[in-house]
Amino acid sequence: MFQYEKMLQYPVKIDRPNPRLARIIISQYGGPDGELGASLRYLSQRFSMPFDELKGVLTDIGTEELGHLEMIGAIVHQLTRNMKDEQYKDPAFAPYFVDHTAGVYPNSAAGTPWSAATIAVKGDPIADLTEDLAAEQKARVTYDNILRISDDPDVNDVIKFLREREIVHFQRFGEALELLREKLNQKNVYFMNPAFDL
Amino acid sequence: MNSGNHEKSPNMGRLPCPAPLANPYVPFQLEDPPTYSQGKALIRGTLYPGLDLPFMGMVNRCEKRQSPMVQLQQLRFALTELGLYLNTHREDRKALDAYRKMQREFHDAREEYVKCHGPIDHATPEESDRFTWICDPWPWEYAANRGV
Repeated sequence: MFQYEKMLQYPVKIDRPNPRLARIIISQYGGPDGELGASLRYLSQRFSMPFDELKGVLTDIGTEELGHLEMIGAIVHQLTRNMKDEQYKDPAFAPYFVDHTAGVYPNSAAGTPWSAATIAVKGDPIADLTEDLAAEQKARVTYDNILRISDDPDVNDVIKFLREREIVHFQRFGEALELLREKLNQKNVYFMNPAFDL
Repeated sequence: MNSGNHEKSPNMGRLPCPAPLANPYVPFQLEDPPTYSQGKALIRGTLYPGLDLPFMGMVNRCEKRQSPMVQLQQLRFALTELGLYLNTHREDRKALDAYRKMQREFHDAREEYVKCHGPIDHATPEESDRFTWICDPWPWEYAANRGV
């Protein structure tokens, strides 16, 4: 089961509201490579995983991603608090404002609502873990791009933390894949699907 | 590979030898890797210098001001990193010892925090005669993070 801990994984303290920047950051909430997709991808893939290490890695990283979802939500929330008239009427934010006011809605920077089509659960551990490696890289690049765009030091402080987590997760998924390989037929790791045939 | 060459280099790992074809590889992080202090680990986003690979030299340099919540976050984060590492390095005895030590430290720090600053979960026993779970500020609010 999941229980809430009433604390963030990393502090989020954004001094200056900036709804334009919120509109960019929100892609890591509900965009194609965001934290919502990450958590649902890993927490869904784990059900069909064979071997205890793989179940552990997916459970722990998936759980951590839920904490990152909360941190991104906190950034968006704090960037859109106490907005002045000219801030919510800004053409870069008004289209979001008209539908969601200062609420936090899972969509991409371009406004596409979050979709399960952005994640995969193939039910084969090599395929799923390889997808996870790619997912961590795509999230890492999204954070790189946010660092290119944002000049807010309070936001970037948190983004640097989240970006580094993608690198650590990539390492652990890679090790998980190698631990899986060691358990498979050494002459042909694709002989069968260990999630289905074992 | 000659693992002796890598023992002093935190950013080198272990590859299987020989490596079969048509398989993606990420080298294993070597056992007993060097670690940052808890304070530095939190701002860098990893406990492990060997995995600390920033973008265009953008790194957080100043550790967070040591509020009771930041101390709890530092312990919690070190525990998360050690737990994640152990998932794929279950034979690393030193890491297990560090994880056990961190579990005890976090447990004690959480009890201490809850006594003075209110609950962070439903399960940790409290002595207050008021129900304070719902009291503001919640973690995502500016007021909860002011002063870090």
